[in-house]
Amino acid sequence: MSDIFPKWTNQLPAKVLFGGALIGAATIVGVWYYFTPKYTRVGYQPIQPVTFSHAVHVDQLKLDCRYCHHAVEKSWYSNVPSSSTCMNCHNQVLANDPRLAMVRESAQTGKSIPWVQVHKVPDYVYFNHSVHVRRGVSCVECHGQINKMDEVYHAKPLSMAFCLECHRNPAEKLRPLDKITDLDWKWSDDPKTAAQMQKTKGDQFMHDWAIQTSQSCSACHR
Amino acid sequence: MKTIPPPCPEPDVGPKYWRSLDQLADTPEFRQWLEREFPAGASEFTDPVSRRYFVKIMSASFLFGGLGLTGCRRPVENIVPFSKMPEGYIHGVAQYYATAFPTRSSAVPLLVKSHEGRPTKIEGNPDHPDSNGGTDQFAQASILNLYDPDRATRFTRDGNAETREKALEELGRIADQARANGGQGLAFLLERSSSPSRARLQQLISAKYPNARWHTYEPVDFDVHRQAASLAFGKPVAPYFKLDEANVIVSLDCDFLGAEEDTYVNVRRFASRRNPEKSAKPMNRLYAVEGLFTLTGANADHRLRVPTSAVQSFAARLALEIFKQKGGASNELQAGLTKLAAGFAGNDSWIVECAKDLLAAGNAGHTVVLAGHRQPLATHLIAHAINSALGNVGTTVLLHDAPPPVGGSISDLAQALNASQVTTLVILGGNPAYNAPVDLNWAQAQAKAGTIVRLGYYEDESFPTKGWHFPMAHFLESWGDARTADGALVPIQPLIEPLFGGIGELEVLARIGRLEKTNPYEIVRETFRGTAGEGENVWRKFLHDGYLAGSAAKPVSGQLDSSAVTRTLQAVSVPAAPGRDRLEVVFHRSYSLDDGRFNNNGWLQETPDPITKLTWDNAILVSPKTASELGVGEFDEKSRGPVVRKGLFKNQLVEVDLSGRKIRGPIWILPGLADYTVGLTLGYGREKTGRIGRLHSGQPAGYNAYRLRPAAGEHFAAGGKITATPEIYDLAGTQEHGAMEGRPLIREATKKQFDEHPKFAKNMDLEAPEHMQHIAKDPKTGEPLMIYKHPYRVYEEEKQKAGGRLRGPAVKSDTHQWGMSIDLSKCVGCTACAVACQSENNIPIVGKDQVIKGREMAWLRLDRYFAGNIDDPQIAYQPILCQHCENAPCESVCPVNATVHDEEGLNVMVYNRCVGTRFCSNNCPYKVRRFNYFDYNRRPLDKLYRDPFTSFNEGEWELKRWFKDPSRGSVPDDQWDLMKLAKNPEVSVRMRGVMEKCTFCVQRIEHAKVEQKVKAGDSGNVQVPDRTIKTACEQACPAEAIVFGNLADPNSRVSQLKKQDRDYAVLGFLDTRPRTTYLARIRNPNPNMPDPHKYSEAPGILKEYMDRSGSNPMEAHGKAHGAGEGTHTPAAASHEKGAH
Repeated sequence: MSDIFPKWTNQLPAKVLFGGALIGAATIVGVWYYFTPKYTRVGYQPIQPVTFSHAVHVDQLKLDCRYCHHAVEKSWYSNVPSSSTCMNCHNQVLANDPRLAMVRESAQTGKSIPWVQVHKVPDYVYFNHSVHVRRGVSCVECHGQINKMDEVYHAKPLSMAFCLECHRNPAEKLRPLDKITDLDWKWSDDPKTAAQMQKTKGDQFMHDWAIQTSQSCSACHR
Repeated sequence: MKTIPPPCPEPDVGPKYWRSLDQLADTPEFRQWLEREFPAGASEFTDPVSRRYFVKIMSASFLFGGLGLTGCRRPVENIVPFSKMPEGYIHGVAQYYATAFPTRSSAVPLLVKSHEGRPTKIEGNPDHPDSNGGTDQFAQASILNLYDPDRATRFTRDGNAETREKALEELGRIADQARANGGQGLAFLLERSSSPSRARLQQLISAKYPNARWHTYEPVDFDVHRQAASLAFGKPVAPYFKLDEANVIVSLDCDFLGAEEDTYVNVRRFASRRNPEKSAKPMNRLYAVEGLFTLTGANADHRLRVPTSAVQSFAARLALEIFKQKGGASNELQAGLTKLAAGFAGNDSWIVECAKDLLAAGNAGHTVVLAGHRQPLATHLIAHAINSALGNVGTTVLLHDAPPPVGGSISDLAQALNASQVTTLVILGGNPAYNAPVDLNWAQAQAKAGTIVRLGYYEDESFPTKGWHFPMAHFLESWGDARTADGALVPIQPLIEPLFGGIGELEVLARIGRLEKTNPYEIVRETFRGTAGEGENVWRKFLHDGYLAGSAAKPVSGQLDSSAVTRTLQAVSVPAAPGRDRLEVVFHRSYSLDDGRFNNNGWLQETPDPITKLTWDNAILVSPKTASELGVGEFDEKSRGPVVRKGLFKNQLVEVDLSGRKIRGPIWILPGLADYTVGLTLGYGREKTGRIGRLHSGQPAGYNAYRLRPAAGEHFAAGGKITATPEIYDLAGTQEHGAMEGRPLIREATKKQFDEHPKFAKNMDLEAPEHMQHIAKDPKTGEPLMIYKHPYRVYEEEKQKAGGRLRGPAVKSDTHQWGMSIDLSKCVGCTACAVACQSENNIPIVGKDQVIKGREMAWLRLDRYFAGNIDDPQIAYQPILCQHCENAPCESVCPVNATVHDEEGLNVMVYNRCVGTRFCSNNCPYKVRRFNYFDYNRRPLDKLYRDPFTSFNEGEWELKRWFKDPSRGSVPDDQWDLMKLAKNPEVSVRMRGVMEKCTFCVQRIEHAKVEQKVKAGDSGNVQVPDRTIKTACEQACPAEAIVFGNLADPNSRVSQLKKQDRDYAVLGFLDTRPRTTYLARIRNPNPNMPDPHKYSEAPGILKEYMDRSGSNPMEAHGKAHGAGEGTHTPAAASHEKGAH
């Protein structure tokens, strides 16, 4: 009987299995890393219709976050300001600057500016801004150093693991209520002291303010 | 600026992208490279170094996919804020507006929750002096009518669309014509309304057009109450009943808890006196005399079955007995009553004892006799005579001034139409072509008018194919006013501009009258000026509060006009008793669809009728005895209902013949009906209704009882015949088995038993102390050890060991522990809670076929059980929702941990994690978990079983349609757009394959907690005060039967209720430790009343339990076992194991 199959097919099953295992492992590792919000979301920086720079307005001009995002203390939703808010200053400051043409047009005609949403959690997550902002969580914890951004980018993954990190240990992230919108604020310039103070003061806040961060599903998923 | 600014160019900044490829982004070389079709590296493909470069570049270019490149990263979603934010608007915070749901003679005061400028949830107004925030099921469901895609959206003329301007011109033309001839030939057909504005407009227009005719028609009319009171007391008054002042209530076919108007007032007042515990006011007692089984009869302590036509004779006998015992009736009145009394014989001792109870010393002035709207004038007059004699006028019966409404009847109008006296007919609301008495032949009569203008909410049976049709605005879109039952003025405020350009009744009238103000806001404001003066502040407060302070009617005194009563009685002829060949046909208002106006409302169609538990259909009701005599239907004595085979109701179709007119419908044997009575439910069988009303194979749901209903016998008619047909009809019922068979799900006792043995509810079943004593106890706490140690207990022990404070997350919160208590003595079974839950939680409807399969989605169901004698049973209700068990059987079996227990005691359902194993529902002993077998939101309910590879929708493969837009379902566009508006944005909308169940309104809990924390800021004051959180069911319940609150707070109302002796857990022996417990039901029978079924000794349910278990909860548990060992059922026999 002649050989029906060529010799190299002897090793084929083994090679296929091994190759398959390798590809499988590679896929798993790839998905594990590349499909996490840390990879897919962080760094997202869409082009906005108006070149609004937080660095200029917050860092240089020292506008408080809540001047524009005023609903953040009262609602689950932190609003993007309406054009009339911009025009509060810009009807005088840079009144004819071409970069603000869209804002002026919007304020005059009533047409809204279609900002591109940067931070978004899935629809089955119900996040509430007001309870975080009013209970010691600063904007910087989730949005990063917005005050240094010329164009807003997604600084933190905002995955469930990210939320749980803080919910499992809120003492590490709490700060006095009047420093919430001070994004550069630190307990102290010396990092060691700062860490020390964060721990002690954080624990104190946890106790005094009766901070109870829910870790069960009903906190966000309903 | 006069010039148009130039459009903004795209900003030219190079976007900063992630990874190192951004270095390439901006180099000119790369740009050039990208533009070439074949990159330079392509020819160098074989070179390994350049190949790597090539691969890198190609992958980069794939990622870029063009210039300006955010699209490939994530779909662009825009935030589109206002250009100018409305003052005080905060996105995400719901706003509440006070308004009212107008009913026929009054209104239900409401607070409507509005999200982003649209109403999403209707709630009662607790600030209103005559309301505790409860509503009825109609008010709750009316919001779905607002978002009904089948509502009228266009002005039409002769069936073709017209512009609004032309339509309004037509009104102007009518006005001109009327002015010319004083309104001759102009006829109005109105619905009943308590609106002072409408009354004022009516007056103005009548003055302007004195020859115009006004007619009012309601198929289910409650005006007889006013007529009777006015006649009885000789002045224009209407009665108002303060049932909470009554110790004894006698209902003469008066379904004040269900089918009469203002149930939100009656249920509240009635239930406030259903308090078996010792209190300042003793528990009330309800006697009911009726022909059908109504909610009032279900809650009665004594119920007598009397054919509806004979109730007036019964009332006469009761009156005679009272006058016999007390005296005070004139001879003429006595004679009149005696004549009438001949129509009802027997039940002497019932009447005597009932009269004695009414006359009892402690009840003077604190009783009330009520006659229902189905009863003729005679019954009402007798009731008023009795009330007057008993001194109730002024305490339980208040008389409010009520000028008679302007308007003749629809019969008069039909006559005028047939005599060609009507040139212009204006129909405002209502649906006379569907529900007018059949002998008027309304559809033909209507067509005889020269011009017809009909203002209607739907393009339905009354839609004039020759004439004008105006789309009516919903009450949530209109300005208006009304008076609630107590006479207080309430506003009807719009929450949204008319979605489809609808127009309101007030505006149409004002335009026809060519009045100065035609804007409804102006009209209402003007009326208000007349009532409360000019002040803007008063007006604003009125709109804010939802009622005008101090505007409640002042009761007036009234003396019974005995001669008027006598005269009316003398004119009455006593009808013959119904018999097998002359059945009494009784037309009654549907508990779900009212008179048919809610036929296209999916929530109400799917809300089971509280007595029959039928959805989507009406049935022809007969008693078991009548059915067996007629040889129709099959009755299952065990389950107290029609026979069920394999879970299916296949009921025989019968034909009902009344005066030669016939209808066909499925027979339903209902124990508790008077014999030889046929109950026909109104509101179904509509030909021209929307997609919901025609859901089942495109056929109208149910039979049309109006086809039999004559003008003379609009409530009941004699001479009906039933003939069986060989056909079978599928009925969708939600409860197949109507008996508990002795299982102590509802625990019930008489007041006497409860007074003697207050802890009887805890002495039943395996939770009785005699059984519990055998269970091993924790030596420290003395509590029975559980089979498995709940994480709460573990946590508590660890916390104790650590000295009271643990670092790390709280497994069990010390601040809040949620629980609920439902008082079965107060629950009347009205189903308002079920509809409120559906509204709040975006619960879909599933359609008749799926309900037949048992897949109804209601999170809260009302179980209705019969007990006792077959012909004369008792009914008890139990609302069952997720019990939020501490030892939840559902939590431990979920393979993906989609149902977990949170720190505050809630059993939480995480929809995004659920894969649809359905093991949790399998394990739930209460069967409260509902599974989304299909995507009920995105699939039309009659196309659920279509598959994507073969089904074809409007010329397009389903799969292709899905590819184009996965998130849009295959429901029609209009339905899709409106359905999205109806949903509550705070609750997820569940998709196919996901389990759902009651969450204790976790969205409301979280909202309250967040609010409290925001208020607390940097203080530790995070506990939500008691009664802040009201679950949807709790809020809708007018009886205040459902109480939700914080068990960690010992002073909270729910904690107090759970400490009561009556408190028990359903299926408690399973050791599920439910957070929802019930307070046992107590009936208050009169021990002197005749008691052929021995209900006064022990209610039917209790008797069944005692028979089955062989134990009597009124005695020590072990005693009964020892006594009757031989009679044990197998379930009880297990007691024998272990020492007794």
